[in-house]
Amino acid sequence: MALLKVQSLKKHFPVKRVFGETAQWLRAVDGIDFSVDENKVFALVGESGCGKSTVARLVLRLITPTSGRVLFDGKDIFEFDGDSLKAFRKSVQIVFQDPFASLNPRKTVFDTISEPLKIHRITEKKNLKDACAELLKKVGLGTDIMNRYPHEFSGGQRQRICIARALAVNPKIIVADEPLSALDVSIQAQIINLLQDLRKETKITFLFISHDLKVVHYFSDTVAVMYLGKIVEHAKTEDLFNEPLHPYTILLLSSAPKVSYPPAAIRHQPDTGEVPSPIHIPPGCPFHPRCPKRFEPCDKIIPELKVVATRFREAKGRLISCHLWNQY
Amino acid sequence: MSLLEIRDLNVSFRTKASPIKVVSNLSLDIKESEVFGLVGESGCGKSLTALSIMGILPPNAYAEGLINFTGKDLLMLDRESLRRLRGREIAMIFQEPMTSLNPVLTIGYQISEVMTTHLGLSKKDAFDKAVDLLRDVKIPSPEIRVKEYPHQMSGGMRQRVMIAMAVACNPSLLIADEPTTALDVTIQSQILELLQKLREKRKMSIFLITHDLGIIAENAKKAAIMYAGRIVELAEAGELFNNPGHPYTMGLLDSLPKEKGKPLKPIPGTVPRPDKLPQGCKFSDRCRFVMSYCRTEEPELKAIADRHFVRCVRAAEIKWPY
Repeated sequence: MALLKVQSLKKHFPVKRVFGETAQWLRAVDGIDFSVDENKVFALVGESGCGKSTVARLVLRLITPTSGRVLFDGKDIFEFDGDSLKAFRKSVQIVFQDPFASLNPRKTVFDTISEPLKIHRITEKKNLKDACAELLKKVGLGTDIMNRYPHEFSGGQRQRICIARALAVNPKIIVADEPLSALDVSIQAQIINLLQDLRKETKITFLFISHDLKVVHYFSDTVAVMYLGKIVEHAKTEDLFNEPLHPYTILLLSSAPKVSYPPAAIRHQPDTGEVPSPIHIPPGCPFHPRCPKRFEPCDKIIPELKVVATRFREAKGRLISCHLWNQY
Repeated sequence: MSLLEIRDLNVSFRTKASPIKVVSNLSLDIKESEVFGLVGESGCGKSLTALSIMGILPPNAYAEGLINFTGKDLLMLDRESLRRLRGREIAMIFQEPMTSLNPVLTIGYQISEVMTTHLGLSKKDAFDKAVDLLRDVKIPSPEIRVKEYPHQMSGGMRQRVMIAMAVACNPSLLIADEPTTALDVTIQSQILELLQKLREKRKMSIFLITHDLGIIAENAKKAAIMYAGRIVELAEAGELFNNPGHPYTMGLLDSLPKEKGKPLKPIPGTVPRPDKLPQGCKFSDRCRFVMSYCRTEEPELKAIADRHFVRCVRAAEIKWPY
C-alpha cells in the first residue's frame, strides 16, 4: 500500500525583475508522479538543481505546489489544517544535509530532542528525561550528553542527534535530504548502518534524497532519477543499477568514480556539456542537448514517462521517459 | 628524477599555549608528469601540505623541513623568488570555483594577468592567448566567454577557467586541492578527464588531493593516505587498493557500501583533534588490531614491499580482506 503518493506535482518559482514583476518562471519540479510504499526506501537521485530538494519540501508541506497533489495515507496534505495538520507534522519528519546548520546552537541536546515530545504531548513532563535517554540510545549516543550543546559534537554525532530528534515523534516517514554528504567516509558508514538498523526495528519509510549513487544502491528499494524537474527513469534499485536504460542514467552511473584498481575501463566520454538552467529548459526532451543518442523527435516532442518491458527481462514497475524506448 | 621532494615536513599552528602540530614528518616524492594522490578525511592536514608547497599558509601557521622543487628549497626562498615561481612553475586550483575567482574582473583579464606578470606578454597578446586557453579547456565559444564575468558561468565552467589560469604558464606541477568536490558527478568526470589530457599534452605533474578513493583509483599512479597529520600508507595505486597494508586504509575501503544487505564495517569513533592525539600510534584508539605496544610507541613508515610503505607495526601480519 502506498503511504505517500505524489501526483503530477509541479512547483514553479517566479524569477522577479528589479521592480517585482515576474519576468520568467523557474520550473523546479515540472510534473512528477511517484509513490512510496510502506516500510520501503524510495530514493530520488539527480544532480544539483534537478529539483530533488524541492520535492522534499513539497512532500513535507513546507512550500505549496503550483499544481498537483501529494497524498499521505490517501489524503491530500495541502487540505490539512488545524488538528489534521498537526497530526501530519507528527507523522512526517526530516533529516537535513548539514548537521552544523540544522541544530539550534543555543539549545542543549535535551532541549532539542524533548521539544517535539512536548509539542505533540507525547510524553509527560516527568518522563521527558527517560524518553530522551531512550532516543539517544537508539541512535548510538551516550545518555550523559543531554546537557551539552551542539558545538561540542562532531558532524557524525550531530547527525545522530538530528536523527534522534526526527525519531522522537515516532514518524511514519522520514525524508532524508542528503543526510550523508557533509560527513567523512568513515562516518558515513556509521550513519548508514544506523539508518539500516532503524529501518529494521521501527518500520519507518524513507524518502531518501542523494546524489551519491553508491549509497543509493546500497540503501534504497526503488529509485527515481530526476533531471530538470522531471523523472526520467523509475525502477527497482537492482534493475536500475544492473541495467540503466535512460541515457541520462547511463551517463550518471558511468561518471561516478569506482573504487577498484585497475580502473574498469579508461573512460572516454563524449563531452556532454552541463545541465541547462531550469529557467530555460530545452524544448522536447530536457536531456536532448547532452544526449549521445538523440535522434529526430528528441528536440520537438517531450517524451512521456512510460512503462517499458525490456527485451532482456520483464521489468515490473520500470518507467522511462525516452523516445528510444518508445519503439519497443 | 623527482620533480618535488618533501622531506620531514612539519606544519604547526601558533597558539597562546604550545604550538599545535598538524602535519608531522611528512615525506613524499612526485615524479615528472605523474599524478600523485593524497587522500584523507577532513582535518587530516592534506590541504595544509599543499599550502606549504605554495608558501601560502595562513599567517598563524608555519612550516619546517625541506621542500625541494627542481633543486630549490621552497621553504628557504625569499618572497620575491617564491612569487616568481608561483603561478609559473607551480600552479594550484582549489575546491571552490565559486570563491576563487575575482567577481569584478572579466575571465579574460584574470587569465591574461598571469601571462602579463610571468611571461611579460603584452595585454593584447595575453588576451588572445587567454582565448586559446579557454578553447583548450573546452569552453564553448571562448571568444564571447572571455569577456564575461564569473557570475555568468556555472560551477563547472568556473573550474575550467581556474584550470586555464593555472596552466597558462605551462607549470611543471599542478596542485589540485579537491578540484571536483563542489561539482556534480557528470561534471566531475569531465574535469578529471580534462586534467589528464592537459597533463599528457603538457608533461605536467599533478598533485591530486581528495577524500574520494574512487577518484584516486581512476586517476592517480601513486598515492599516500593521511591520518592525523601523518602519512600512514604510501604505495602505487594498484597495491593500495588490492593489497592495503594499514588498518586505516582497510577501514576506509570497508566503509564503502558494496554488497546490498550486508552491514557496513565503519571505522569506530571519530578523528581525534590535533591537540588531543593519542599517545603512540595516532590511529590506535580506532584500530581493530590494536596491541598494548601500539599505544606507547609511534611506528615508523616502513617498507613492506617494493615501493609500498606502511606506518604500522603489525603490517606484516594483518592481511586484507580479513
